[in-house]
Amino acid sequence: MNNVSESVLEINGLEVVYSTNRGDVKAVRGIDLDVRRGEILGIAGESGSGKSTLAVALLRLLKAPGKVTGGSVVFNPAGRSPVDLLKVHGEELRVLRWSSLSYLPQGSMSSLNPVMRVQDQFKDVILEHAPDRRNSLHEMIPRLLAQVGLEPRVAKMYPHELSGGMKQRVLMAIAVALEPDLVIADEPTTALDVTIQRVILQSLADLRTDFGVTLMVISHDMGVHAQLADRVAVMYEGELVEVGDVRQVFKDPRDPYTRQLIESIPKLGRRAS
Amino acid sequence: MTADAPPVVVVDESQDSAPPPSGVRVWLSRHPLAAYAIRRVGLYFVELWGALTIAFFFFRLIPGDPIQTLIQTLQQNYMYNQQASTELIARYQQEFGLTGNLFSQYLKYMEKLVLHGDLGPSLINYPTPAQDVILRALPWTIGLLGISAVLAWIFGVILGAIAGWRRGKLGSAIATNLSIALSHVPYFFVALILVYIFAYSLGVLPARSAYDSNITPGLSLEFIGSVLKYGLLPGLSIVIIGTFSWILSTRMLMVPVLGEDYLVYAEAKGLKGWRILTRYALRNCYLPQITAFGISLGFIFNGNVLVEQLFNYPGLGTTLVTAIQQLDFNTILGVTNIAIFSVLTAVLLLDLLLPLLDPRVKYWK
Repeated sequence: MNNVSESVLEINGLEVVYSTNRGDVKAVRGIDLDVRRGEILGIAGESGSGKSTLAVALLRLLKAPGKVTGGSVVFNPAGRSPVDLLKVHGEELRVLRWSSLSYLPQGSMSSLNPVMRVQDQFKDVILEHAPDRRNSLHEMIPRLLAQVGLEPRVAKMYPHELSGGMKQRVLMAIAVALEPDLVIADEPTTALDVTIQRVILQSLADLRTDFGVTLMVISHDMGVHAQLADRVAVMYEGELVEVGDVRQVFKDPRDPYTRQLIESIPKLGRRAS
Repeated sequence: MTADAPPVVVVDESQDSAPPPSGVRVWLSRHPLAAYAIRRVGLYFVELWGALTIAFFFFRLIPGDPIQTLIQTLQQNYMYNQQASTELIARYQQEFGLTGNLFSQYLKYMEKLVLHGDLGPSLINYPTPAQDVILRALPWTIGLLGISAVLAWIFGVILGAIAGWRRGKLGSAIATNLSIALSHVPYFFVALILVYIFAYSLGVLPARSAYDSNITPGLSLEFIGSVLKYGLLPGLSIVIIGTFSWILSTRMLMVPVLGEDYLVYAEAKGLKGWRILTRYALRNCYLPQITAFGISLGFIFNGNVLVEQLFNYPGLGTTLVTAIQQLDFNTILGVTNIAIFSVLTAVLLLDLLLPLLDPRVKYWK
């Protein structure tokens, strides 16, 4: 599909199942997808379509009873040799995390450690993967916070002193702290109010411009993809039904399910039926 | 760096706005932690007074005449056959604070206790004051039970955290089931087994008393070595069972925390396992263990009656049992007062300490 070196991630035939008492449930059924360097790729789909399972599997955070049963995920970090994300383990995987492959969780979740100050949650991950930056921390943390529109004093605060939108910004700043090759964002605007959502989306777009990161954004909200993504991939029942340029998908959706998703966006001046 | 920076989120700074009138109030509103501490310490004294008062009246309800018991003891000890004169009885009543009505007895008792730290004479050790009897036993109890409790807590919390962290693994399952089985075995049962193995069968450790009676007590290396040797078995019996019960409770606190979002996040961050365990998991669940530890430290001052009796250890537990047997009410009340004092003080210190350990704990507004 694409030139190999242009892709950050090449997913081939990825399959994920959840084992239950009544047999295996296939959550991701053989997905092929390339993530191009520098793009923002949206993953759309309704609840239960397997988009979050896909994200968790790519991040290697899948927990039992979830299990990857097939496929390969080739990751091409800049300056490192390509690796199959599904085959790295232990220390090899740990070193890859954050400096190359980073994660932006939902801000409304309690992803920040409640008993650590914001600056310490920057510090631990930076020092873990880039210990030589110890001396530049005092300059780095306020700069990263400013990047997402937060005052330097936020560094000294605890998570319970922050609003949902502020927590989301902190998570964004931590996600790009080490300039990773790929950031996987799982529902970055869910549970935020509409005005904050807009600002967060703008900040995400700015991060791409400033840091040149590749973003994979999981969201059920087609509006998010319309505003943010370059390309969008639509999932339904664990399968990819459509991938394409975001304008093209919105203008002329090929798959009937995609059409329904787009029509589900509420419009001003139209009554709910 | 950004072409058009997103709007800066403003942090609310209007915490202490309207200035209160008087100087003290201004100061207190500026220093909420100090205001809280003052209120908490005030409450502590109220609690202390209430508990000591209840204890005093409660012990006056014990049936039996302590003076008659004393006179009988004296008669037996000194082969003294004459009947006690009414003056003698009156003098003893005066001395033991048993004259006047209950309320004036209470006032006199509290006055002596608060102003002079005097608990009144001990009945069985007359005329030695009860506080001297208690102070003689106190170091033994604090030494034996205090050190054992600290060790059990440290071992238990560390092992329990690891057991929770490695749940589902064989080692963790063994530790957990062993803890369930052993954490409710009474101390003295383990003590008996230890005595059987080490004192009776192997004969390597002493099972009675607190030190070798051939050595003169003092700050000599020989004496300290002897104290440690004699304390090993009673200490071990407490540490073993204590450790298992701390393992169980720590594991129970640990497991739910492992499902929290911030643990998944810490894993995604690629932090080292040990760091996630200590800074993320344990750090978020060990507070109840601190509270429980403080309370258990407070209860140490009751003595551990069974273990001390079994090993004939000269601690507070032994003192208390002897005092109860002989109706030595000043000593019983004194031991009770020390327990009240230590439990309330431990809880006070914890309440003052917790806000420093967990930023989310806030008692003040």
